[in-house]
Amino acid sequence: MNTVAWLILLLPLFSAVAIGLGSFRSRVASAVLSVGAVFGSFLLTMLLIADGGELRSSVGWLAFEGLQVDIGLQIDALSKLMLCVVTGVGSLIHIFSLGYMKEDRDFSRYFAFLSLFIFSMLGIVLADNFVMMFIFWELVGVSSYLLIGFWFEKPSAADAAKKAFLTNRVGDFGFLLGILMVWAALGSVGFAELRNAETTAVCGLAGFLIFCGAMGKSAQAPLHVWLPDAMEGPTPVSALIHAATMVAAGVYMLCRVFFLIDGTWAMEAIAWIGGLTSLLAALMAVQQDDIKRILAYSTLSQLGYMVMAVGLGSPDAAMFHLTTHASFKALLFLGAGSVIVALHHEQDIWKMGGLRERMPKTYWTFLIGTMALCGVPLFSGFFSKEAILDAALENNLLLFLVAVFVALLTTFYMTRLFIVAFMGKPRSSHAEQAKESPAVMTVPLLVLAVPSVIAGYFNAHAPNPLVLAASLVVLVFGMLVGNSVYSGADTDPLPARFSRLAKALRDRFWFDEIYKWLIDHVQENLAKLADAFDRWVIAGLLVRGAHGTTELAGRVLRLAQTGNLQTYAFWFAAGMAALLIFTLG
Amino acid sequence: MNWLLIIVLLPLLAAAAVGFVPGSQRLAIRGITIGASGLALLCALIAFCSFEVGTGFQFETKVVWVKSLGLHFHLAADGINIGIILMGAIVAFAAACCADDITHRVKEFHILLNLMIGGILGAFASMDLFFFYFFHELALVPTFIMIGVWGRGANRNYAMYKITLYLSLGALLALIGLIGVYVQTGAESFSIPDLIDKVREKPIDEAAQQWIFPLLMFGFGILVSLWPFHTWAPLGYGAAPTATAMLHAGVLKKFGLYGIIRVAIPMAPVGAQSWLGVLAWLALANLLYCGLVAVRQKDLNLLIGNSSVAHMGFIFLGIASLNVIGLTGAVLVMIAHGLLAALAFGLSGHLYRQTGSLDMSRMGGLLRQMPLAGSALLMALFAGCGLPGFANFAGEITIFFAAWSAGLKTVTVIAAWSALVIGGLYMMRAIRNILHGPLRGDWAKAGDVSPLIATAHGLLLVALLVFGFAPGLLTKGIEGEATKIVRLAKPAER
Repeated sequence: MNTVAWLILLLPLFSAVAIGLGSFRSRVASAVLSVGAVFGSFLLTMLLIADGGELRSSVGWLAFEGLQVDIGLQIDALSKLMLCVVTGVGSLIHIFSLGYMKEDRDFSRYFAFLSLFIFSMLGIVLADNFVMMFIFWELVGVSSYLLIGFWFEKPSAADAAKKAFLTNRVGDFGFLLGILMVWAALGSVGFAELRNAETTAVCGLAGFLIFCGAMGKSAQAPLHVWLPDAMEGPTPVSALIHAATMVAAGVYMLCRVFFLIDGTWAMEAIAWIGGLTSLLAALMAVQQDDIKRILAYSTLSQLGYMVMAVGLGSPDAAMFHLTTHASFKALLFLGAGSVIVALHHEQDIWKMGGLRERMPKTYWTFLIGTMALCGVPLFSGFFSKEAILDAALENNLLLFLVAVFVALLTTFYMTRLFIVAFMGKPRSSHAEQAKESPAVMTVPLLVLAVPSVIAGYFNAHAPNPLVLAASLVVLVFGMLVGNSVYSGADTDPLPARFSRLAKALRDRFWFDEIYKWLIDHVQENLAKLADAFDRWVIAGLLVRGAHGTTELAGRVLRLAQTGNLQTYAFWFAAGMAALLIFTLG
Repeated sequence: MNWLLIIVLLPLLAAAAVGFVPGSQRLAIRGITIGASGLALLCALIAFCSFEVGTGFQFETKVVWVKSLGLHFHLAADGINIGIILMGAIVAFAAACCADDITHRVKEFHILLNLMIGGILGAFASMDLFFFYFFHELALVPTFIMIGVWGRGANRNYAMYKITLYLSLGALLALIGLIGVYVQTGAESFSIPDLIDKVREKPIDEAAQQWIFPLLMFGFGILVSLWPFHTWAPLGYGAAPTATAMLHAGVLKKFGLYGIIRVAIPMAPVGAQSWLGVLAWLALANLLYCGLVAVRQKDLNLLIGNSSVAHMGFIFLGIASLNVIGLTGAVLVMIAHGLLAALAFGLSGHLYRQTGSLDMSRMGGLLRQMPLAGSALLMALFAGCGLPGFANFAGEITIFFAAWSAGLKTVTVIAAWSALVIGGLYMMRAIRNILHGPLRGDWAKAGDVSPLIATAHGLLLVALLVFGFAPGLLTKGIEGEATKIVRLAKPAER
């Protein structure tokens, strides 16, 4: 089974390298390698699960006295669940991409990057120590960068990629310091060793610093700004990386190291940051017009739910929601991708409409995804959202109210999206002529619809009646309001009615503007100051000053070198006289 | 086999051989140079692979030269320098391949290039202070001439004067320090192992250590562009021909660091204890301040130059930690940065040849225009901001652990910010400006690298990746030697 575990990790790496070194000239070979690798990893994961049991296997990477860093795999219930999500959703999205990227001239490069991403993501899932997790954390960051900037000649895509990478780096800064603190306090970086260390809970600061890493990767406020921009990447990438897997890595990591942060003040901070993120993002989603951006804000909001669940001491609920969310959000994004291709890359929902009759398979699967996300009873999202609301009700009433309000907003903006995009009459010529996507794209939709419906039953609990009532009320209320506002609307009526609020939501509470100001005024001024100091003080005043002094000294001394024998004789005699006086006197 | 002797002699013989070839025979001159450095690389690879960790000096050559003064021609490899020599040989071969942008006085350039390579490899292989210093000067003097005669840009004369004065000053201070060591130990030999044995029995007077160590630290430090003595580096590399910049920034610059680790700390451990705190803060200045300066650069070479100065901060920080992890990390970054700097300057040399300008604000979309060079540059810039998979990351994270455990916590926090965020910022901006975005006018005619140069760049990248995936190849050897040095410096912790 050890070999199987290593193969799961290494197959995608092999595919990425093989495409990069050789097969990039042949589109077919690249596609076969990449899809084969991720599907192979999926089958091996199934084998691993069928086999049952836990295992660990590692090879040394760096070893010193007191610092042992391995590349090691840890197979347990948690990593198996995540393996399923990554390779399962990954396989479907690879297949979908075959259709979505068919026309692209960099088809092979796309699949090489996708394989690189799967490799990095599996590294996070399997890591058995902090440093290895950090290594793959960075690699995931870079593969996400490469895929967001896949169409790098487009300035907006290149800028979005840069922004994503740098925002993540800010989070990683905290993560690295957290790792250093944990190591210094407990003397190890391995999860198993840390669990057995004398006191497993480290101070809250270390826990919070580690959480900073998750804040970057899982796009929690205030580091959430990169995720909506990341929609510049190809849509299957948004589905795979920026909805189902990578952005969930932060939540996964928190569950992995839950034993360290449990019981510290960091938990409180995590819960509140998660709750606030879910609220802010759901508000912003209400006034977006780009179909992918609405889904991106929705992803942010759902990630906030998961992070909040961890903070409330319920990592199981977080992982549960992560799993169901991965399937229905991937479904929604792929559905959006199917719509976008059919409409010749039109993403504005106000230019869609009437797609129900024209794209029936996409319509039905999108409806299933929407119902799962809104938490319609008996769909998967219902059970997992219920688990999180339960945890909130038990621990923190205020956060429970926030979470219920977010559920209301979710239903509202999803109803808006669904009605505007799919119902009514076509509002553009592209929408008029839209056709259903080919089977290579619709089959993954149909397959993803299955877990979006049933995934909840694997972990269903008897719901708390209060939670059940609250969520049913907001569900019905949200749908009714959404329906009455947007049914048959040609433009959004909200900006006219609530102009100030709608503008704040549209401008995403000016986070980007604030950061831009900070970067322009603080970072750039610091850099300018350092540069000016370098140029004028160190290189100018000091170095040229030393040079000038030397030259001046030379000029002064040259005055003595007159070439006049009498002068020399005079100085010689004077010197002798001085010497005599000094020695005799 | 005395592999080291062969490695050092091959380039020197090639220099002599090129002297006998008429200047018009460009191909023969190039062939001899590339052939000699290629063979040297092969020997270095064999030596590296057959090196046995933990068995003391290997591939030793020891000849008495001047008995009365105790001068020996002594070449030997241990865990620290075997890796540096391999790195030097790789960079030397790559530099020789990249030197085909020289179009006038080809013969003279190649004689100097071979001398420089021989000097560099000799300096790192020597176990005798005299030859250690002599070989360094043998490599340094050609650097000045190459910048002055074959350099580029309007500033090259100023740059040449500046680099000459700075490096001569640094070398002079270090020389005074080394003479101080020789006099104070009362040894009758210039051999480094003999000197170490001597100070182990009877350490240098503590008062003397207090002036010997700073002389060596600042003397060697100036050679490595220690803040605030760093302004020569970006300017000098900007004006230097491609091959010269690759060799100097990649390998020769590491001589100062090697000197601090190999000579200064073992000889003056008490002086080291009192001065390394200062070094840690200067290292931070390198990292943070030069990183911020790099953010402002518009010219690719100045960006690489400043980032290279910033990276020296990691190595100084590793040394300042004065523990086994830190010294090992420092040597690891020395090797990684050598490969990376050579790659970056090799690529910028290629770009400079295309349009005669490295102004980043006028570049764009080069990833499409030159897929090979573009991908290599992308990877180099990623390696420069510490992406795992490249050797730089392994060294840098090791140093963070070391500095943290040495109690330099504030320094570590700011250093991590500089490395992750500021380093990321200027590298990402460079990628955005040079490689991404639409293609700009001047660059539409630019071509990709030739197969020879692509091989050179590929070799550097492969080395970076191999040591990044398996840093143990290097650290196993380094750790043993680092342990010996730390024990000398801190006998209490034995």
